[in-house]
Amino acid sequence: MSGVGRQYGVLAEYDTPADAIAAAEKVRDAGYTQWDVHTPFPVHGMDEAMGLKNSRVGWFTFCGGMTGFFGGNLMIWFMNSFDYGIVVGGKPLYSPLFAFPVSYEMTILFSAFGSLLGMLFLNRLPRLHHPLLKNKRFGSVTHDKFYVVIECADPKYSEEETHSLLEESGSTHLEVVKE
Amino acid sequence: MSKQTENNDASRFDLSKWAKLPNQLIAGGILAAIAGILIPSWHKTFAYSYLTAYMFFLSLVLGSMFLVMVHHLFDAYWLVPLRRFLEHVSCAIPVLVLLFIPIALFAGSIYPWMSPEGHDHSLAIKSIMYNPYSFYIMAVLLFASWYWLSNGLRNASLEQDKTGAASCTITMRRYAAGGIFVFAISLTFAVFYWMKSLEHQWFSTMYGVYYFAGSVWTTLATTYVLAFVLKGTGHISPIIQQSTFKDIGTLFFAFTVFYAYIHFSQYFLIWNAAIPEETFWYVKRENGVWWSVGMLILFGHFFVPFLSLLRIDAKKCLPIMIPMAVWAWLMHYADMSFNIKPVYNPTGEGITFASLVLSIGCMAGMAGVFAKWFIKELNAHPAFPQKDPRIAETLGVYVEPLSASSSKASND
Repeated sequence: MSGVGRQYGVLAEYDTPADAIAAAEKVRDAGYTQWDVHTPFPVHGMDEAMGLKNSRVGWFTFCGGMTGFFGGNLMIWFMNSFDYGIVVGGKPLYSPLFAFPVSYEMTILFSAFGSLLGMLFLNRLPRLHHPLLKNKRFGSVTHDKFYVVIECADPKYSEEETHSLLEESGSTHLEVVKE
Repeated sequence: MSKQTENNDASRFDLSKWAKLPNQLIAGGILAAIAGILIPSWHKTFAYSYLTAYMFFLSLVLGSMFLVMVHHLFDAYWLVPLRRFLEHVSCAIPVLVLLFIPIALFAGSIYPWMSPEGHDHSLAIKSIMYNPYSFYIMAVLLFASWYWLSNGLRNASLEQDKTGAASCTITMRRYAAGGIFVFAISLTFAVFYWMKSLEHQWFSTMYGVYYFAGSVWTTLATTYVLAFVLKGTGHISPIIQQSTFKDIGTLFFAFTVFYAYIHFSQYFLIWNAAIPEETFWYVKRENGVWWSVGMLILFGHFFVPFLSLLRIDAKKCLPIMIPMAVWAWLMHYADMSFNIKPVYNPTGEGITFASLVLSIGCMAGMAGVFAKWFIKELNAHPAFPQKDPRIAETLGVYVEPLSASSSKASND
């Protein structure tokens, strides 16, 4: 039971999206790295306020799509032309034209796989538990409250400074979250 | 603060030194036209170059009309900064009518079915549609319906600038809801009569959608450039956002795929069925230089823009988007040429001096006329909708609904 009681981070509650954005900008400018904002719905401009770069999921999508496209072509070439050639309607055994609709669908399917798996991988999901989930107050994140959470694991974290930063940012409630 | 400095004169474009350009373009166009008329061997080239240029600019007018209508149909807020200049482009129907006069006069030698010598058995059933009477009646109907639609939309919009009445938005919404049907049907007829009927033996029911997809694609590229220029000149800089550019880019990207989807489908169905009545159209376009133009459309109209705009941040990156818009104009011109010019050049001879001079001349002349119209309209009216109900949303400002603020007041 050595983990119990250890601090996970500081939770700051806000009433409006505008407050949460203003707070996120402050935390970003203070140079924190291990932190996150939790809102009941997507807030426009939050990416920029948090200083988040373009998500890397796109690369997984792209690679998945390419795999699907060329894999589909390869499959059709192998089956209809190489392994067991079938002449249909006097057309060539293999043509990128008739292979295109199927390859195109494979592109979409594999991009979707790429996106989903890439997202899970980058978010380190699935995960069975998160310290925030047992915090009573945090439940309102699915209702009408906005939260900024700075983790203790952040190299810039110091109890005093982080608390005062969040207090100054207009938080209505501040709380330490335990592991 | 950065916005303030941007609005100050430092980064503002000075377009005064370009003021003579439209007139110069028109003069160039007239010179090319005179050459095209005086030299007998240039006649055909001139006629089809003129038609190609005409269909290119028709694309921009119809594409703008479409964007104005979808703006109302989806109640979109991001198009508000762009709507006024799109309305101006879509109202350029008098210019279209003016430029259509030569086509109407010489239709007999442009469209084979307009003269008795061009008749063949394939025209028997199609002659209900393809005969001189319906050609002229249809032209009048098309221009009249576009005039009614585009001016109806713009008048309500200008009215709202003065009154700020919500009823104007409702009027525009009604025009858009009914107009989208009128638009779809009229665009299809226009492109069937003026472009597809050059080879009336051919069949393709999706030809209207094909032209529509390319048109909106080109219009979005043009919108991007116009938005960039009008932001620089200060016309729409108070209202346009960084995200507006990204949104135009995203829609441009979507139409890149849509055009490719439609053109592939048209080609694929014809290729798969392999019926001579349909295949002859594409077989002719494999001759000589048309093969290369076809490949240019395949790679340049789809793969190049698709792959370069795949990243989300490419859509707001000006060094990518502005060259891409210029490229889109070239590609749309190549596409229009691919459709029209094999009629007079079926063997696909390479670019000749005549075709180069006349193609550029016709494009320049029409660009000049449209530019003059656009500048005149732009200066005559406010550059963006002044009292549109979605303006706050466009600017990213949250305005509490009246009901919410009044209930709060009563609680206090």
